[in-house]
Amino acid sequence: MDQIPVTVLTGYLGAGKTTLLNRILSEPHGKKYAVIVNEFGEVGIDNDLVVGADEEIFEMNNGCICCTVRGDLIRVISGLMKRAQNFDGILIETTGLADPGPVAQTFFVDPDVASRAKLDSIVTVVDARHLPQRLKDSKEAEEQIAFADVILLNKTDLVSKDELAKVEHAIRHINRFAKIIHTERCKVPLDKILGLGSFDLDAILKHEPDFLGGKTEHNHHHHGHDHGHDDHCHDEHCHNPDHHHDHGHEHDHEHDSSITSVSLTADKPVDAAKFEAWMGDMRANKGPDLLRYKGILDIAGSDQRVAIQGVHMMMEGSNLAPWKTGAKRQSRLVFIGRNLDEKELREGFKTCAVG
Amino acid sequence: MPTASAIHRQWNFNLPIVSLATNRNGDWIAAGMGDGSLRLLPANDEAEQPKEMVLHNGVSLSLQPDADGHTFLSGGDDGKVFIIDPKLEAPTLLTEHKNKWVDHVASSVDGYRAYSVGKNVYLLDTEGEDKTGPRQTPSSVGGLTFSPNGKRLAASHYNGVSTWWTNSKESIPTVLTWKGSHLGVIWHPDGKILLTSLQENALHGWRLSDNNEMRMQGYAAKIHSMSFTAKGKYLATSGADQVICWPFFGGGPWGKTPLTLGGNDTRLVTRVAAHPKDELVAAGYDDGMIIMAPLDGRMEVLIHPPVSEKGAAVTGLVWNAAGDCLFAALENGYLILFTIDSVRKAVVHV
Repeated sequence: MDQIPVTVLTGYLGAGKTTLLNRILSEPHGKKYAVIVNEFGEVGIDNDLVVGADEEIFEMNNGCICCTVRGDLIRVISGLMKRAQNFDGILIETTGLADPGPVAQTFFVDPDVASRAKLDSIVTVVDARHLPQRLKDSKEAEEQIAFADVILLNKTDLVSKDELAKVEHAIRHINRFAKIIHTERCKVPLDKILGLGSFDLDAILKHEPDFLGGKTEHNHHHHGHDHGHDDHCHDEHCHNPDHHHDHGHEHDHEHDSSITSVSLTADKPVDAAKFEAWMGDMRANKGPDLLRYKGILDIAGSDQRVAIQGVHMMMEGSNLAPWKTGAKRQSRLVFIGRNLDEKELREGFKTCAVG
Repeated sequence: MPTASAIHRQWNFNLPIVSLATNRNGDWIAAGMGDGSLRLLPANDEAEQPKEMVLHNGVSLSLQPDADGHTFLSGGDDGKVFIIDPKLEAPTLLTEHKNKWVDHVASSVDGYRAYSVGKNVYLLDTEGEDKTGPRQTPSSVGGLTFSPNGKRLAASHYNGVSTWWTNSKESIPTVLTWKGSHLGVIWHPDGKILLTSLQENALHGWRLSDNNEMRMQGYAAKIHSMSFTAKGKYLATSGADQVICWPFFGGGPWGKTPLTLGGNDTRLVTRVAAHPKDELVAAGYDDGMIIMAPLDGRMEVLIHPPVSEKGAAVTGLVWNAAGDCLFAALENGYLILFTIDSVRKAVVHV
C-alpha cells in the first residue's frame, strides 16, 4: 500500500492560506486531493474532497510529556483511507492558532495513519506586512515558522524593500533552513510546495547541500545582508536555489524570539553509541523545546551516510547511500527550537566524535 | 496447528471491503465496499451471487445491525444514515447532515437508534425522534454502542466514556473517566462492565456497580476488534500477534493472565469474532490468514492460509446466528464463506 503524501498548510489568520489552497485546487494539474479544512465555505472546489475537522489535541499516555497528536486527523485520515478511490495527496489546512507539532507528530505516532500516509512538507504562509506584529503577540506565529519546510512570504507587494528585508531577517532568525519564497497573492508554482519529501530521509540526502545550510553556516558570523539587492528575486520565476536559502544569519538584535536555529558540523567521524546517548538525553530532557531537527552523519566504521530527523521526542534515522569515494565526509546537524543553547549543543555534539 | 484451506465459497468484488456485519437475526450479511456500495447475501451457504446496493456517495464509516432484527444501519462520509432492508432494491434515508461525517451508528434491542456526527450524539427513540436534541461529548466520538438490554447508550471519546439512560430526557451524561483517547467501546453481555480500546494499544474497563477499573496492556497495535464469547466468559481481542482472550470469570480479568491463541511472531490479528453459541473464536490476520481457535485447550485450526500479496488484511469476520457459517472479508476485495462442514472436511483431509 503506497503512502499518500500529506502537505500541511499553516499560517496566521489572514496570511493567505485559503488563497493558497484555492490556488492549489483550481490549477489544472490533473491531480486529485483530499482537503482537510477547519472551516467550510471558503474553499471553492468541485473535483476534490473537502472534509471539516475540529482541532482535537490528544496527549499520548506513553510517558512522553510533549507527545501530542491530532485526534481529528487520525479519525479523518483513517476514514479517507477506506475509500477505494485514490488520492494523489492530502492537504491539511490548519487554523491560524494551530501548533504544527501535534500535526507532525500524528504521522509518526499513529500506526494506522503512518502506514497509509506520510508527511511531505509543512508550508507556512506569512503576511509580509503583519508578521512583525504577529511575532510580538503570538507564539503560534513563531512556531509555524519554526516548523516550516517552505515559507511563503506573501503580500510582498504591500511592503517596501526595507520592510521586506526586515521581515526576512526575523524569519531567518527563527528558521534558518526553510525555503523562503516571495509571493503576491500566494502565486507559486505548485512543484515548489507539493511533493517535496521534506520528511523523507532519502530526500534529506538528495537536498543535502541546501537544507543543511552549509553556506549559511559559512556566513554565520558575517551578517550576510544580501536582502533587497538587485539580484534578489521577488517571484517564483527565479530558479536560483541560492536565492531561497542563502540569506545568511542574523544575531538577535531586533526581535526577542525564543526560537532559534543552530547548525553544527563535525569533521571527525561520529561514534554511533555516543551520538545515540547524547541525542537520547537531549530528546528526553529538551524534547518539548526541540521543534525540528535533521542531520546527516558520518558514523565511524561505516561507509554509509546516516540521515536522521525528528520532531520533539520523535526521531527516526536510517542508513542511506554510501559516501562518494574521495568526497569529504562531514557530519552536519541542525536544530530549530526554543531556548537552544548553541554553545552547549556545539560542545555536546563535539563529545560524540570518535576517539 | 493443522493446516487446511476450508473455503466453501468465495467472491471477488475487485474493491476493498471496509466492513462486514450481520443483522440481529443473523440471517443476512452486508459488506461495505470502498466505493460506498454494499453487497448483501443470505447468511447461509446458499447464496450464489451477492446483491449489489448503491449506498453512500463516499464510503460507509459504520455498518451495524438495525434494531428490528432484519435491517442494517449505515452511516457514511456523505453525512447520511441509511436503513438497509436486504430484500429491497434501495436503502431508505433516515437522516442527513450536510458536509459532515456520520462516524458511528448503533441500534438497541428495544428499538432505539443512535448515531454520532463529530462531538454530537443523536439518540432516536422508538418513533425515530430525537426529542432531547443532540447530546454533546467533549471530543469526537470514538465508538458508540447500546447496552445489551438497550437501556443505556455509551459513547467513547477523549478521556473517557459518556453514558446516557435511553428513557431519560436528561442530556447530561454520566462520564466514566480515564486519561487518553478511547476508541472502540463494548459492553459485557451481562451489561455490568463497559470496556474501551485506547489509542495507546490498551484496553480500559469499568465495573459499573462500583466503578472498579481494569487495565489490559501489552498489545502491539491498536485494538480494532473485540468480541465477547457467547456467555461472556472471555473477551477476545485483536491487536497482538496472538488472539488475546481475557477471562471474565473467577474474579477475572483482575489479576488474571489472558488466554493466548493462534500464536506466531510475524503477523497481527486484525479481526476477531466469537462463535454465537460455542466457546470458539475465529480470528483474521493482517496477511489474510484466518483461524478458528477453541477456548477449551483444543488445537487451533487454520482455515485460510496467509496471502502473499499486500493489502490482503482481514477487514471483517462474522458468524451467522446458527453458528454454522463464518464470513470473512479481505481488504483486497474477497468475501469468503466457511462452513463448519467445510472446515471439518478440510481438517480430515490433512
